[in-house]
Amino acid sequence: MTAPVLEGRKEVAARPRRRPRRRTNDRLVGWLLVTPAVAYFAVFLLYPALSALYYSFTDWNLRSAASWVGLANYSDLLFNDVKYPHFWKSVQVTLQYTLIAVPLTMVAALVQALLVNSIRRGANLFRLLLFLPVVTAEAAVGAIWRWLYDPQYGLINSVLGLVGIPGQNWLNTPELVIPALAFISAWQCGISMIIYLAGLKGIPGTIREAAIIDGAGPWQRFWRVIVPMLRPTTFYLLVTGVIAALQVFGLVYVIFSGSGRSVTGGPEQSGLSYVLHLYLFAFRYDAMGAACAMSFILLIFIMIITALQFRFVKQEAS
Amino acid sequence: MTRARKASIYVALVLLAAVSVVPFLWMLATSFKHGHDIYTKVPNLLPVDRKTGEWAATLENYDYVLNVGGLGRAFVNSVWVCLILVPAKLLIDALAAYSFARIPFPGRDKLFVVLLGGMMVPTITLLVPRIHVTQSLGMFDSGWGLIVPNIASVLDIFLLRQFFLSLPSELEEAALIDGASRMQIFWRIVLPLSKPVLAVVTITSFLFHWNDLVWPLVVLNDPDLYTLPLALQQLVASPDGGRAYYIMAGATLAVIPVIGVLLVFQRRILQGIAFTGLKA
Repeated sequence: MTAPVLEGRKEVAARPRRRPRRRTNDRLVGWLLVTPAVAYFAVFLLYPALSALYYSFTDWNLRSAASWVGLANYSDLLFNDVKYPHFWKSVQVTLQYTLIAVPLTMVAALVQALLVNSIRRGANLFRLLLFLPVVTAEAAVGAIWRWLYDPQYGLINSVLGLVGIPGQNWLNTPELVIPALAFISAWQCGISMIIYLAGLKGIPGTIREAAIIDGAGPWQRFWRVIVPMLRPTTFYLLVTGVIAALQVFGLVYVIFSGSGRSVTGGPEQSGLSYVLHLYLFAFRYDAMGAACAMSFILLIFIMIITALQFRFVKQEAS
Repeated sequence: MTRARKASIYVALVLLAAVSVVPFLWMLATSFKHGHDIYTKVPNLLPVDRKTGEWAATLENYDYVLNVGGLGRAFVNSVWVCLILVPAKLLIDALAAYSFARIPFPGRDKLFVVLLGGMMVPTITLLVPRIHVTQSLGMFDSGWGLIVPNIASVLDIFLLRQFFLSLPSELEEAALIDGASRMQIFWRIVLPLSKPVLAVVTITSFLFHWNDLVWPLVVLNDPDLYTLPLALQQLVASPDGGRAYYIMAGATLAVIPVIGVLLVFQRRILQGIAFTGLKA
């Protein structure tokens, strides 16, 4: 980078000596500036990732030394339902939640983005109001929704009562727990809405006009122009949404926290998300090795799901 | 667009906005109500007396959660953590990003790719061993344990580097020829030109750490060190958990600062989300 510039200044006497000095200097300064970040990376990312892999093959808690058990954690988690009775339940809960929450959130986000995009006056205000739930701490979200879902005095049941729907005990009825959680996720669709809005702004006006001239109605324009043009956005939101939903934790933890630091998985473990289960193993049952194995099962699962999504989209495109 | 269609769009938007905002209004109203006034068959979005319907707001819920419920101390802790963590993280990330973007040093690009690879690992996978590392460093259950394990972010380095790369390099080259050092260039030229991205990174990282529940939850035992989200969760989990008026006062304390930040920096935040996509 500096070489061509210095080339033009050949008359500078110091040139042959300056260049190498600048280089050694760059080498030093360059490394110096990245050192804090690289040290952080090594200590809090690389080492934990590798040691998590190692510990997943051991029987380990924070007080004792780890003892090697080979693949026992993995095989026990997957097949030993005496030792880990709720493992598959947590998988089922998490998959159900993902399958409901992700599409619901994306549809809500797209609808909101289309509406906001089609108005001029007040667009910024609506965008802001719809974004509000996103910046809210999950501890506060959990607290607010516990109260909203309150079976006796909660706002949800009161509103449903006004239109004649009987109130439900949302967070205490096993079949209703996941829909209730998915609704909270859709309530927080503001980020996806903003990203969809950016996608909509990226559709050239000429394409829309051409479709209108060709006689396409709004419905046709939506399915034939907007949806295809938003494919990259939708794909991005799908991949990141699935990855996030598979790791749902903080919200469930707050919603189902009991006295002290105890936490249940909801009625009949119906809210026992995979990561909540992992957390319980690591920090309640003191089975760090098993928790590490669970985290790698999740990691592998996320990688497979993401690869499949990429594959699927490629096939669709060709 | 016909008037009827336009009107129906606004009606739909008002309904959706109500769904997103009413929970907050209800939170606020509940937080100002006397205990007995929250138990009504027909919900009241204003703090009024259950029987007479007259205005009956009170601050005693805030008094309780701040002084008895431990949220006052937690609020101060959260402020301290953010005040130290956010600028320190920004500095570390910006220095690294500048070096990766502009200073040719051997092994730079390979190192950067390795760092990016680290972004692929879900944080939950790192959680348990990170606790172990924090313990080994003697920072478990301490204020430093909240700060140091979060003090850099590969994603932020990536975003800052992208922005630095987009700056015209002529200015920096001219400064180099005039004998400016790399650090002078960083402070005097690169940072002033990068205000938009610095703002986005600062705001998103504040929001993230102000709201973060998981890390404080696993790294802290001492209630004196609790941050606001953790103290709020503890309040929910305590025997007071059934007392929605306390909980909602606590939730309001956690929510108000971020809503303030959102209102002040809305343009930057919303642009930043569209630009980075990932964080909230």
